[in-house]
Amino acid sequence: MSVFHDEVEIEDFEYDEETETYYFPCPCGDRFAITKEDLENGEEVATCPSCSLIVRVVYDKEQFVCGETVDAPMTSEAKLEVAQT
Amino acid sequence: FLGECAIKCVGANTYGQLGQGHGEDQFEPQCSSHGLQRSLRVITGGGGHSVLLTESGDLLVCGQNHKGQLGLGHTSDVMTFNLCPLPGSRTVHQVSCGWDFTVILTDDGQVLACGSNAFGQLGISPQIKHTAKPLLIKSLGDPVISVAAGLRHALAVTGSGRVYQWGTGLSTQARRLLTPQPVPVHFTSKEPCLVPGLDQETPHRVAAGSAHCVCLTVSGAVFLWGCNKHGQLCSTESFLALPTLLDQSLVNGEKVSAIYSGWTHLVAQTESGRVLTWGRADYGQLGRRGPSNDSAVAGTDVSYPVTSLPFEVRTLNGATQIVCGSEHNLAIVGNQVFSWGWNEHGMCGDGSFGDIIQPQLIPTLKSFKALLIGCGAGHSMVLCCQKNSEGFVS
Repeated sequence: MSVFHDEVEIEDFEYDEETETYYFPCPCGDRFAITKEDLENGEEVATCPSCSLIVRVVYDKEQFVCGETVDAPMTSEAKLEVAQT
Repeated sequence: FLGECAIKCVGANTYGQLGQGHGEDQFEPQCSSHGLQRSLRVITGGGGHSVLLTESGDLLVCGQNHKGQLGLGHTSDVMTFNLCPLPGSRTVHQVSCGWDFTVILTDDGQVLACGSNAFGQLGISPQIKHTAKPLLIKSLGDPVISVAAGLRHALAVTGSGRVYQWGTGLSTQARRLLTPQPVPVHFTSKEPCLVPGLDQETPHRVAAGSAHCVCLTVSGAVFLWGCNKHGQLCSTESFLALPTLLDQSLVNGEKVSAIYSGWTHLVAQTESGRVLTWGRADYGQLGRRGPSNDSAVAGTDVSYPVTSLPFEVRTLNGATQIVCGSEHNLAIVGNQVFSWGWNEHGMCGDGSFGDIIQPQLIPTLKSFKALLIGCGAGHSMVLCCQKNSEGFVS
C-alpha cells in the first residue's frame, strides 16, 4: 500500500467540465486528477501524471452516486420500472 | 561581468518553466536562455511558471500560462524568458508567484495581479475568472510594502502597518476545522480584507504556504494563522483563525530577521544568523533528522502531529539567502548553493532523485559563485558566475 501524500476533500478540488475531471495542485507543479466516473465507481485515489505522489480523495460515496442518479435523465419507462419495484 | 554569469535551472519542466526552450525535466542544473543579459534582483516561481525581477524593475517570465499567470496578454505557455510589459510602464519592487497566478508589487506601492481568479486570489472583481493582463488591485488603499502569494490565497502589508488577505483557498478547511466557530471573513473574501489581531504590531513582511499565512513584524516577532495540518504553526490546534504569536523561546529566544514558507513547512533565520525549520518533514523538507514528531498521512488513518517544533539546522548558519519550493529548499552559504528536501524531479540538483535529508552543496555548482536563488513548486533556479571570472579563485 502506497503512502498518501495527503488527504484532500472533494470540495477542495477544481472541476473541469470539459474533461469531467477533478484536479488539485501537486507539489511537483502538475495536478492530482480523478475523473467523475472514477468517483462514481467508488475510486478514491487521485494520481499525478508527472510523479509518484498520490492523494486520497475524501468524499461521501453514497451522496456522490445518489446525486448523479437524481441528475440523470430518466425515461418514463424507467420511472415506471422504479415505481413498480 | 554578466557574460560570465548564467541562470542554471533544474527540476520539473513540464511547461518550460526552466526557460531552456523545451519541456523536458532537468536533473542537473543547465543554463536557461534568459535572453536579456541584465542583472537580477529576484528569482521566483509558482506551480509551473518562473519570474525574474531585474535591477531596473522589469519582469521576465516563462513557463505555464494557461490562466495568463505570465501577464503577457495571452494564455500560451512560453519556454524562454520573455519581458512582461506592465500597464503604465510601472517598475516592480517585489513579485510573488502563487500556484497559477502572480502578484506584483510596484515601486509606487501598488499591487497588480494576473492569472487565475477562480478563488478570488487576484483580489480584483470576482466576476473576472482569470486575466492575462496584470490588473490593479484597487481596494488596497495605502501603499503596500510586501506581498505573498500562496496556493489559492494572497497577503499584503501596507506601509501603514495593516495586513490584508484575499482568496478563498483556506475557506473550506477553515469551515471543517473551526466548526462550530464561525469562519472569519479574511478566509472567505475575494477582495483584500483586513486581517484582525495585528493592530498592536508593526507588520513588515508576509509569506504564504499552501494553506497558511505568515507575518513578520519590524520587531522580529512571527505571527502565524491558517491550517496547521503538519504542525507548521507550532500549535496544538488544527486551524488558527487569527494571527497567533510564535513563542520567541522556540526560536532560540531571538528576534527573527527573515522567514520563508514552503507549502507546509517554514524556515526562519534569527538576528544572529541561525536557521531553524519546522512543519512537514517526510521528504526531508526540514533539512535535519529529528527531533520531529511529524507523521506521514498513511492509509486511512490520518494522524496529525501534535506539534513540530522549530529546531536549528547548523549547516545553514549565516545563510545569506534562503528560498523554499513546495517541498524542497535552496540556501546560499558562503557563496555556495545548498539544497535539501523532496527530489523526485531532481529539483535538488545533485543528479539523483532521492530526497535530501540534510542540506548539501549542489555538486556541479561548486566551481561557481552563487549570486541569487529562486524556487518554483518543483524547480530550482540559481544565478551564478564562474569563480575565476571574478578573480577570487585562481
